[in-house]
Amino acid sequence: MKPPPFDYHCPETLDEALALLAEHGEGAKVLAGGQSLVPMLNLRALHPAVLIDINRLPGLDHVSLEDGRLRIGALARHRAVLESAAVREASPLMAEAYPYVSHGPIRNRGTLCGNLCHNDPASEMPAVVLASDAEMVLQSASGTRSVGAGDFFTGMLSTAARADELLVEVRMPQAPAGQGAGFHEVSPRKGDFAYVAAGATMTLDGGTCSGVRIVCAGVGDGPHRARAAEDALEGAAPGEDAFRQAAEAATEGLDPGEDFHADADYRRDLVCSLTRRALADAASRCH
Amino acid sequence: MTTPRTVELVVNGEPRAADAEPRMLLSDFLREKLALTGTHVGCEHGVCGACTVLVDGESVRSCLMLAVQAQGAEVRTIEGLGSADDMHPLQEAFWEKHGLQCGFCTPGMLMSAVELLESNPTAGRDEIREAISSTLCRCTGYQTIVEAVQAAAEKMQGEGQ
Amino acid sequence: MTRERHYIPESRQREKPKSKYFAIGHSMKRVEDTRLLTGSGTYADDVSLPNMAHAAVLRSPHAHARIVAIDKSKAEALPGVICVMTGAEAAEVTGPCADFSSPPTPQHCIAVDKVRHVGEAVAAVVAESRYIAEDACELIEVEYDPLPAVVDIEDALTSSGDAVLHPGRGDSNVAMQRTIEFGPVDDDFAQADLVIERRLRWPRSGGTPIETVGATAHYDRGTGKFTIHANTSMYNYVGWLIAVSLKVDPHRLNIVPTDAGGSFGSKLFCHKVCTLAGTLARAAGRPVKYLEDRIDNMTSGDAHGSDRLYDARLALKRDGTMLSMRLKVVDDYGAYFQYGVGQHGNAMAQVTGPYKINSVEVDLTAVLTNKCQQGAYRGFGSEVGNFVIERLVDAACEEFGIDPIEMRRRNLIEQDQFPYIMPTGNMYDSGNYQAVLDEALGMIDIEGWRKKQAAAREQGRYIGIGISTCQERSVFSATEFWMWNPNETPGFTLSSSPESVSVNIDPTGKAFITLNAPFWGNSPETMAVQVLAEKLEMDPADISVGYADSDKGFNSSGPGGSRFTVMIAGAVSGAADVIKEKMLRVASHMLEADPSDLEFRAGSIGVQGVPGKEKTLAEVALHAHYFRLDLPEDHDLTSGIDAAYVYDHPVTTMPSEDRTDLGIFYPIVGHMCHIPVVEVDVETGKIDFLDYVAVHDCGTMVNPMTLAGHVRGGTVNGIGSALYEHFHYDESGQLHNALLSDYLHPTLMETPVDIRVGHVETPSPFTEYGIKGGGEGGRMGAPPAIAAAVEDALKPLGIKVDSLPLTPKVLRGMIREAEANGG
Ligand SMILES: Cc1cc2nc3c(=O)[nH]c(=O)nc-3n(C[C@H](O)[C@H](O)[C@H](O)COP(=O)(O)OP(=O)(O)OC[C@H]3O[C@@H](n4cnc5c(N)ncnc54)[C@H](O)[C@@H]3O)c2cc1C
Ligand code: FES
Ligand code: FES
Repeated sequence: MKPPPFDYHCPETLDEALALLAEHGEGAKVLAGGQSLVPMLNLRALHPAVLIDINRLPGLDHVSLEDGRLRIGALARHRAVLESAAVREASPLMAEAYPYVSHGPIRNRGTLCGNLCHNDPASEMPAVVLASDAEMVLQSASGTRSVGAGDFFTGMLSTAARADELLVEVRMPQAPAGQGAGFHEVSPRKGDFAYVAAGATMTLDGGTCSGVRIVCAGVGDGPHRARAAEDALEGAAPGEDAFRQAAEAATEGLDPGEDFHADADYRRDLVCSLTRRALADAASRCH
Repeated sequence: MTTPRTVELVVNGEPRAADAEPRMLLSDFLREKLALTGTHVGCEHGVCGACTVLVDGESVRSCLMLAVQAQGAEVRTIEGLGSADDMHPLQEAFWEKHGLQCGFCTPGMLMSAVELLESNPTAGRDEIREAISSTLCRCTGYQTIVEAVQAAAEKMQGEGQ
Repeated sequence: MTRERHYIPESRQREKPKSKYFAIGHSMKRVEDTRLLTGSGTYADDVSLPNMAHAAVLRSPHAHARIVAIDKSKAEALPGVICVMTGAEAAEVTGPCADFSSPPTPQHCIAVDKVRHVGEAVAAVVAESRYIAEDACELIEVEYDPLPAVVDIEDALTSSGDAVLHPGRGDSNVAMQRTIEFGPVDDDFAQADLVIERRLRWPRSGGTPIETVGATAHYDRGTGKFTIHANTSMYNYVGWLIAVSLKVDPHRLNIVPTDAGGSFGSKLFCHKVCTLAGTLARAAGRPVKYLEDRIDNMTSGDAHGSDRLYDARLALKRDGTMLSMRLKVVDDYGAYFQYGVGQHGNAMAQVTGPYKINSVEVDLTAVLTNKCQQGAYRGFGSEVGNFVIERLVDAACEEFGIDPIEMRRRNLIEQDQFPYIMPTGNMYDSGNYQAVLDEALGMIDIEGWRKKQAAAREQGRYIGIGISTCQERSVFSATEFWMWNPNETPGFTLSSSPESVSVNIDPTGKAFITLNAPFWGNSPETMAVQVLAEKLEMDPADISVGYADSDKGFNSSGPGGSRFTVMIAGAVSGAADVIKEKMLRVASHMLEADPSDLEFRAGSIGVQGVPGKEKTLAEVALHAHYFRLDLPEDHDLTSGIDAAYVYDHPVTTMPSEDRTDLGIFYPIVGHMCHIPVVEVDVETGKIDFLDYVAVHDCGTMVNPMTLAGHVRGGTVNGIGSALYEHFHYDESGQLHNALLSDYLHPTLMETPVDIRVGHVETPSPFTEYGIKGGGEGGRMGAPPAIAAAVEDALKPLGIKVDSLPLTPKVLRGMIREAEANGG
């Protein structure tokens, strides 16, 4: 299990990196933390002609909260995000969910942006950023554009990023004051990708749930927003029954896919119970 | 540029250099080019943790890093910890508490534990469990590894005072 | 050899158990560890020879197919490639791999004409680096003609035609069918008040150590001799079998053992990898390293564990007295049959468990399917028997409303019944099963847990307590490999499986032990040192240990079947007797005293009753080495102090012709009691351990610390088998979890925080010092105990656990069904 041969570039500036991406296009792969890319190379599931290693690009490792906006750069490692005070302040959901993402040594290298670009359907963070109205800032030699999370995740292991684009930053609005978040996951083992994960955020507005967001991972070919469940709860009084009903709504019409680890019935059951738990946690953490 | 390039780095405190093709994994580079076979390879997809080494003070899977990426880095491996007659407290504690059987996971276990105790000398059992859980051990059932790291932490704190 | 039925040979024990030991029984730090802790071990991949090339293997993507054509021209043209070999080419110079089955199921190190499972080698490349070898594999073009894949264990019973894996054995995938009755089964069933009947499924898992199998081979053209460095466990045993495959005389093949990064049975032989590396090295004209990568190991490592379907029956009296068992079992052996039904031979050693069961009938059908073949995995098939019988016992408890502890108390073999001949003819040497149960119950507050369980149920939480009382047969003798075979084609009817060492005392009085079996994660060096230190009352620090290669090695079977500690103790003890005698002889001249008046004191030899009149071992050794001719005339006393000793199996008898008595073949029998407490999350199907107690009786303990290591490590293996691990083949024979991301070894977070280990010591009357085996440890007892705990937790839902592993999906599925039925 050794990688196939490839050309390797390690640009020192963003412009250089973007020029290389423009030059090599589809044949190139960006190498960030390598925690998804290198296993795939070792398995020879990919044969890129060129690797463009972005690890030496300056100024992309930020995790910051400015003017009510959380900004996480392409080289912010999982560990930096996990330990960031800015994240705890700006996104209780991300803070709740991060401990479920892999293990220490993987987090030391892996990046949030790489994780989002990889878009594994069982990955936690795509669901988190989907719930958080995040914007993906994509830059190429020909310009910069911003894509909302809802449009970014386009299917199994694929995103709206073009081959010549780099995801340079994720931006998220700071969660509204008083927001509570809950995140629950069942994975084969601690630190593994999820069978199913469910995240929820809400604020309690005059005793009723408002701004409810419910997202799931592991239920299809990418992160999933359970809009019917959100609608069922929006404006309702919090409580076990309400959460249960919302959780059931989250499973309605859901075709979560299956593999030998987890069949569709099992995934639906998990969506239901984990959503309920996430909602209960979210409500109890509103302040 | 699939052609080999020279990778210069500091390994266990010593400057080292050797040629590597860009695709060569850091694990293979350490083992084959630098003859540091104490770092083990069990899966080559990041799961087992036997290949864990410290790069610039942080634990990484050396099977998921290219050697060329370690250019200029400071790498630490099990060989840098201590020798049979001058063991690191963690090595001593693993010996004392029977924290190894076949020893194949041991380099990964030790390097993860080094990272933990150097950054958090007062780590408690839960933190130790969390840190150790990233590496698979098929032999011990883990319990004595946790006990060993706990014992080493206590000893290192005692020495630090 | 004829003999009376159930004859028990006289004990050959020479060292009786003692009340106080010098070195045995101490939790000494391991001798092996300093090199392993400093990164200086030498594992298979750490071997590097001058001018060495690297091999990679192209693996079959098909479960079953004819190989129509192979075009290797592109691969051969790739710079850095030294040679590319197909199976047909390899078969011109190398014969099939060693095989114990009768008739054989020929397996080649590279498949010839046909592939029989996904991952089977189709071609091999030797290149300047492993990277290039893998590049070349991608350039080999193979045309396959797919054949029907046989995957389901029951389908395999009826397949024919193209679906038959080895048509040379007949038009069927049934590799063996045999029914053997031990004792008056019909009569016992006729007397029964109740017959418990269950269909039980044991899943295919495997040892899957973190280190894979590897070999570095060199073929010397000048001498025609192979040298193969490999992590095989039985290197002094399989060497000649590999030589036969490579078509050289055994003395032209030397195996140099490396450290092994775990085995759990999976590295017993490793003959295929050695044969492949040898074949490639001879073809390449250079030393060649072949190391399985993870996928090679999981798909083609020849070491998947038992994969069985049981229809099992237990006959009982109304008072719970167990009478007899009927087991109808189908075992899916995969594509080849390297050990025949050795896994079932093994299981016959303890098939009726620790209970006074009078008779048993076993109806065994072994089938071949398009999967990786079976090998050994911690228990070698007998762990499955433990699961089966404990499930039956628990079912009987449920039926009768008898408490599981009380049920066991009534049926356990009593202390005064040993040595006990169980129905198959195997002997249980000794035991005190009630004491083990008492010890376990003393370590855990069952009543307290029952209260917590009741309180939890009030809150909709599901806690369960399980118990298992199981056997750990140890010290196999080789008859298990062929006793099931038909008399006409018995196969390889070996009867011995000895172990040996040599001991050299250096001129300073310190000792060097040479082992003939390798390090594989157990503690062979520590065991040998502790026993020798005991015998010679020597400081363990003055003893070191090395390994003979097979050129210098002799009679050894290596570790396996929990035999090594017992066997090495016998060998070391025997060698030490020779050493002692010689030292006494030399000392008697030096001290001018009769040898019978001398005694060993810590570090010296002295005249009994005369303090101070003594010589240190160093003085004696120096004299023996260099001053022999200063000593008086003493016929045949030669210089130096060395001994080599072969220890044969302590007590083996042969099976009877009709096989209704299998003889004594696995007689050193330990016992264990496991009590886990679990909590099941009924919504997610996830299981958490709240407590875990494991008490083992492995006879005299050489080192309680390392024994506890086997208990805990084995328990976690058992947790894997019970809850997480299962090689998942789909209907087309694709293996879906060949990676460690999907084949789920428990991590630390899936294991109990504290597996509380207790010990009882019932010394064996047959082995040196009364030691019994303990190597297979907790994997023998954990799966049934965990199954029982989960069933207990889910009792309100009426859920029965009949198959493993209890993955969250499976468990949640059962709970969902129970809820739908109003449970
Ligand atoms: C043992 C193990 C356990 C894991 N467990 C989990 C888990 O529980 N949950 C989870 O979510 N993940 C898990 N992961 C995956 C991990 O989170 C990865 O780090 C992450 O998915 C990818 O980030 P990376 O920086 O390593 O990206 P890389 O591996 O470098 O790249 C991944 C992909 O994204 C592309 N890419 C990377 N960065 C950019 C960019 N800035 N712009 C454009 N394209 C880019 C690459 O070209 C590649 O296609 C695990 C990994 C391992 C090895
Ligand atoms: S070899 Fe790197 S994690 Fe297994
Ligand atoms: S000691 Fe063998 S894998 Fe950990």
